[in-house]
Parts: sequence; C-alpha cells; structure tokens
Amino acid sequence: MTDETALCVQVDISDRDIFEAMKEISGYLDITPGDFKEVYLKAYRHALERLVGSVVAQDIMIRKVVYARDTDQLKAAAAKMSAAKVSGIPVLDDQMRVVGILTEKDFFKEMARGVASNFMDVISNCLNGRYCLAAPARDLLVSDVMTKSVITVSPKTAAMEIADLLSRKGINRVPVVDESNQLLGIICRSDLMAPQVKIK
Amino acid sequence: MMSYFAKMKGSSTSPPAVGYREILWSWMGAFLGMLSVSYINFKMLTGPNSVFLIASFGASAVLIYGAPKSPLAQPRNVIGGHVLAAIIGVIGYKLLPDLIWIAAPLVVATAIALMHFTKTLHPPAGATGLVAVIGGPAIYDLGFSFALTPIGLGALILTLIGILFNNIPSNRRYPEFWI
Repeated sequence: MTDETALCVQVDISDRDIFEAMKEISGYLDITPGDFKEVYLKAYRHALERLVGSVVAQDIMIRKVVYARDTDQLKAAAAKMSAAKVSGIPVLDDQMRVVGILTEKDFFKEMARGVASNFMDVISNCLNGRYCLAAPARDLLVSDVMTKSVITVSPKTAAMEIADLLSRKGINRVPVVDESNQLLGIICRSDLMAPQVKIK
Repeated sequence: MMSYFAKMKGSSTSPPAVGYREILWSWMGAFLGMLSVSYINFKMLTGPNSVFLIASFGASAVLIYGAPKSPLAQPRNVIGGHVLAAIIGVIGYKLLPDLIWIAAPLVVATAIALMHFTKTLHPPAGATGLVAVIGGPAIYDLGFSFALTPIGLGALILTLIGILFNNIPSNRRYPEFWI
C-alpha cells in the first residue's frame, strides 16, 4: 500500500472505522476490513484524480491580467507591478503574444549584477549610500531584463498538472495562452488552493 | 524472504458477526432451499440410480442464504459456475477414467480457472466438478446430462428460492446483479 502515501490528501481511515461501518450494514459482507480499506483508498484516489482533473486552467485563471509590453521602460513596468501589488507580470509583444515574464527576481538579478550577490547586499549598499543599484537600470527596457524562456499553459491544462509544473520549475505563476500564444489569463500559486471550491 | 513469512501472520481482522435476525433468515432460507432439492431427490425421483441432491448444493446454500450479498453467491455465479464445472468434470472423467487421482485435481483446478475467466466463480462448483469425477456409477451414467439435471436444474431452484425468499425481509435483497 505504499502508493497511497503519494496522495496529496492523506485519508485517515482505520480498520476499526471500517469494522464499525460494516456492522451498520446488516447481512454478511464477504470482505475483510483490510481489503475494504485498500479498495476505499484506491477509490478515493480515483475520485481525487477525477475532481482535480476536471478543473482546468480556464476555470481558475485570472482574466484581468496586469502585463507589460516588451518595449516599455523598465521603470514604468516596475511602477505597474508596484501599483498592482504583484511580484511578476507577463510581457507581451505588439501582437499581444507572450514573449517573456518579468518578476522581482529579474529586477534583482539586473540590479545586483556583479556588485551584490544577495538581497542584503543590495539593501546594505543602498542604506550606506555607497551605490544605488537601481540607477543603471533606469534607462533599460522591459525586454532587456525579462525572462525570455517563459513557461505557458493552455486553457485546457488540468489544475493538478499546473500545480505540479509550478513546484517542479520553482515558479509562482504561469500565463495561460491560446494556440497563437495570445494571453488569456494567468494562474498564480494561490489560485490553485482548493480549486474545486471555485468552480461554479 | 522475510515478507513471505510476515504475510502469514495476517494483516486484517475478521469481519463483524451478523445479527440474530440475519442468522434466523439465513437458517430459514437454507432450510427451504435445501428442502426443495431434497424433496425432489427423495420423494419425486424413484428410479434406482436417480440422484438430485448433490453435496455441493449444501455449499451453495451457504452462499445464497448465508451471504447473499457476496459476488460469489449471485445467479450468474451459482448457475454459471455449477454448469461450467459439471461439464469440466464430465470431460475430465471421460478423458481419464483410469486415472481418477489425476482427473480429480485437474478438474477442480481447471474449473476454477474457467470460472475466473468467465466471471462465474462459485466455490461450491469446485465440488460439483469433483462429484463428476468421483461420484460413482450413478453419476457416470448421466454423462453430459449431469450438467443439466441435477446440476443446472438444482442450481436454478436454489437461486429461485433465494430470489423469492431473500427479498422478504426489508434489510435483505437478492440478487445484487444478474449479468
């Protein structure tokens, strides 16, 4: 029964619970509590897969997406992100196709380039007035800094698959695009919490 | 190797006991079912070699009246299993009449395999196959008709009484499925 441990939701059902339930059914049940438990756990996993598999990207994605154009000034994009209180936004070209993603990490990488190796270096340099690391970035464009190899999903991608993708790639959000790579929405980690609650 | 022995300790518990009412209904059903085949055997058939009451029917009664929810007790299994095993048994005896000691295990094992294959597994049918091999002249003389009477008809009667009787109490039902 080792494969049951792979369940995201652990089912806490004991042989005793099953024994008591069997007592409530009159008539002889031709199965041991142990076998029933095995059936139950497998059935539960099938139900879980069915439920989670039935929720797809378009059911949970945010449709009003804050985004930047690749030709935008980096500082404008920063202001946009700050105003929207988001830590990452997709970057679109003039055809509204997703060409990249711009996150806090990209800013940090750009600003820390060669001078700082971690976040506290940046803070320390700034507080001690030694060097304002943001300054060299002032004249850059979004396309100079963004992550170009952007991972996207289709509107029909299962929520479970997306959750797996996020944790596997170590990312926090993924744009949802149509066949021509046009932006339809975005899914963040938090949108994947209890997704079945959100459908109708 | 350790897990081989560890498995012998068992891993689960015995299912709960049934209530007194269930025991009473099981008793009455079994009595009625067995009474019918017994009556045919002793009161209706008068020929010197005629036989209707087969030992394996007693085992079928355990399932049909004692565990009517069991997949093993359903009409498909009772009738299908008995008839299939009877045919295997007759074939086994006809093929190896002088090697009964080989025919007996061969028939039972083959019957189990074919019952699994046809989804008609019914434990008492294993005995039916065996009866065809070791049942003596009264059984041998019947040839393949052994599979129809007494076996097919007897299984049908036990099933019918199960259907008529097991559905009387509100908390009992039979069958769970037909096909």
